[in-house]
Amino acid sequence: MSRVLASSAPARAALNGASLNASITRIVRPAMVKASKITNQKRDHSACCGPHLRSYATHSDLPSSEQNLSFVLKKKGEVTFEDRPIPKLTSPYDVLVNVRWTGICGSDVHYWQHGAIADFVVRAPMVLGHESSGTVTEVGEKVTSVKVGDRVAMEPGIPCRRCPRCKEGKYNLCVDMRFAATPPIDGTLAKYYVLPEDFAYKLPENMSFEEGALMEPLSVGVHINKQAGTKQGQTVVVFGAGPVGLLCATVAKAYGANKIVVVDINEERLAFAKKYAATHTIVSKKQSAAETAAQIIKECDIVEGADVVMDATGAEPCIQAGIHVLRAGGTYVQGGMGKPDIMFPIGAAGAKELNIKGSFRYDAHDYETAIGLVTSGRVSVKELVTKKVKFTDAEEAFEDVAASRGIKILIEGVPDRRDSATA
Amino acid sequence: MAINLSFILEKAGSVKYEDRPVPKLESPYDVLVNVRFTGICGSDVHYWQHGSIGSFVLKAPMVLGHESSGVITAVGDKVSTVKVGDRVAMEPGIPCRRCVRCKEGKYNLCVDMRFAATPPIDGTLAKYYSLPEDFCYKLPESVSLEEGAVMEPLAVGVHITRQADVKPGQSVVVFGAGPVGLLCCAVAKAYGADKIVAVDINEERLKFAKQYAATHTVVSQRESATDSAARITKDADLGLGADVAIDASGAEPCIQAGIQVLRTGGTYVQGGMGKSDITFPIGAMGAKELNVKGSFRYNSGDYATAVALVTSGRVSVKELITGKFKFKDAESAFNDTKAAKGIKILIEGVEDEA
Repeated sequence: MSRVLASSAPARAALNGASLNASITRIVRPAMVKASKITNQKRDHSACCGPHLRSYATHSDLPSSEQNLSFVLKKKGEVTFEDRPIPKLTSPYDVLVNVRWTGICGSDVHYWQHGAIADFVVRAPMVLGHESSGTVTEVGEKVTSVKVGDRVAMEPGIPCRRCPRCKEGKYNLCVDMRFAATPPIDGTLAKYYVLPEDFAYKLPENMSFEEGALMEPLSVGVHINKQAGTKQGQTVVVFGAGPVGLLCATVAKAYGANKIVVVDINEERLAFAKKYAATHTIVSKKQSAAETAAQIIKECDIVEGADVVMDATGAEPCIQAGIHVLRAGGTYVQGGMGKPDIMFPIGAAGAKELNIKGSFRYDAHDYETAIGLVTSGRVSVKELVTKKVKFTDAEEAFEDVAASRGIKILIEGVPDRRDSATA
Repeated sequence: MAINLSFILEKAGSVKYEDRPVPKLESPYDVLVNVRFTGICGSDVHYWQHGSIGSFVLKAPMVLGHESSGVITAVGDKVSTVKVGDRVAMEPGIPCRRCVRCKEGKYNLCVDMRFAATPPIDGTLAKYYSLPEDFCYKLPESVSLEEGAVMEPLAVGVHITRQADVKPGQSVVVFGAGPVGLLCCAVAKAYGADKIVAVDINEERLKFAKQYAATHTVVSQRESATDSAARITKDADLGLGADVAIDASGAEPCIQAGIQVLRTGGTYVQGGMGKSDITFPIGAMGAKELNVKGSFRYNSGDYATAVALVTSGRVSVKELITGKFKFKDAESAFNDTKAAKGIKILIEGVEDEA
């Protein structure tokens, strides 16, 4: 099946009407195609991934006629590559970034597989991705903190700056938050992305673009620790050894936590956690929450109970065990997202006078803190990158994350050919 | 004639009167108090009915009661803050003062807490009770001994409100219009809350709440938590949601509604005790980045604050006292409390047979 990249709306519209069941909707202007370099491979994923996934083709050569190639979620289960207009700067404080690396989060995978998370529903095609770094290629008139050519980590959620939450410093809770790849806002898996200068953070010389893309999940880990108030000498238990759990553990370590226990069902991830940041690891078993708590306390030589628990799973048994493993007066932070309603030990929470907090994305200072931790060497994120794929192999990366293969997979950006150093 | 007549729980469902030795002062910092008034709490009723609460199990007969006031009749050698004849409110939980929790100021969480009428520690429903001077709070002339007995539940309300960090201008929703819920409303009002919404199934208690301290009342209905939250938000004009939600019921539907009625970044405090495990909206809590806190009894500063609030007139507790029983009629007082008759019922101290 041939694939064509149309730069005009009528051509795209014509293709939309066609039956596209077995092909990826990448359309090239026939004159630009170097036929010998286009391969047309279709993979049958029904055995491993289910019948709702699309087959796709790899492509080793990107036609130069496209302006802003984007990886789009058309609707649940269906991704496509599309050319879109280069985004315009919306304010004199905005910058245009050529995206270089993008990591994938569980939420990206969830929108792909389910088309929705809670009240956020994919109602129109949307560009995916939000964990990115890139190079500034254009700046608005009033931009002073970055210049063209600067390498930046991109904070992907732009708040309104006017509502009570924004003005009290909790902009992550902004009522009008525009967050990349949360419907209906387009994400960063495109050649270019626009954002205000104050949400683009310069990467120090000693940090790579790849590390820059990890600043988003690291900021999540920083924010969870901030909510927890992790202090020197504390005993911290982290449920979940996925990227966020691992980053929570390493930030807790950087903040001086004395004992960092990581709990998971996956022994491979625990082995990594032990090398990375954990002082102790525990394999989850099918047992009551109270038994799990007792096991953790015993095996990790904890007196009375943990000072801090961070949940990075959203899983009911973990949440319950987390409440039970805390000492009286301890702090629990809910980072992970799972079932919205679970059986919860409110009696224990009340009688032990626990402090329980939600944690949602990140706010003031979290990104700067993340960058500071990596540039100073207090936190290392390189080892979390287990695979890198080309932009046109983006779907493969999504499949890997959906199958929990590896830890953090990065998708390379579409290079800006104006920048000859990166061509 | 009895020297220290005491009201005792023998085992679940069975109470009796017994004479016991007058308590000795265990330390030079202790005082002896002649107990004058004692209020009854849901926990007293629970021990009476079930013989246990959680892991605290009645294994031997125990004196009941913990919400008391009285007059000092003897003081230890080193006592300097109170003297014989002083009228005091009594804080009934004595911590060890040495453990990590005590030393960090959270003595309510002391591992070796000795709390009156929590097994195996005897309570205050006796003629005499001994306790350290620093757990006695002098009552000014303007505050009666009856009001002194309400300082304990008021201290609970103070602690909950301080956990919630209620500030001037905030909106507060309180689930449960029993004594603790009402006192939370009163303290929240004293702390400057702008809107205080009392929620309950009992319309009579809500009427009282409206006259007492609430600005709005909502009758609980059989509906989903989100519907309940939407209705409260609409009826009380809460905009994006309440700043603070306090639960003084322990009831699952209230707890769920409390989480749903909060605005993003809001604070929820669990005061009431009910089922230990409930279905809880953790997704909403996480995404709204709520602060959820337990609240257990009271600690540093709560009793003193309670006395100060009543002394200054910022909080009034007289109207909560709806019944007084003689010591010999203590069991009737328990029965009325169990039947949710009135609000706060007091038992008078042992009368001297003169």
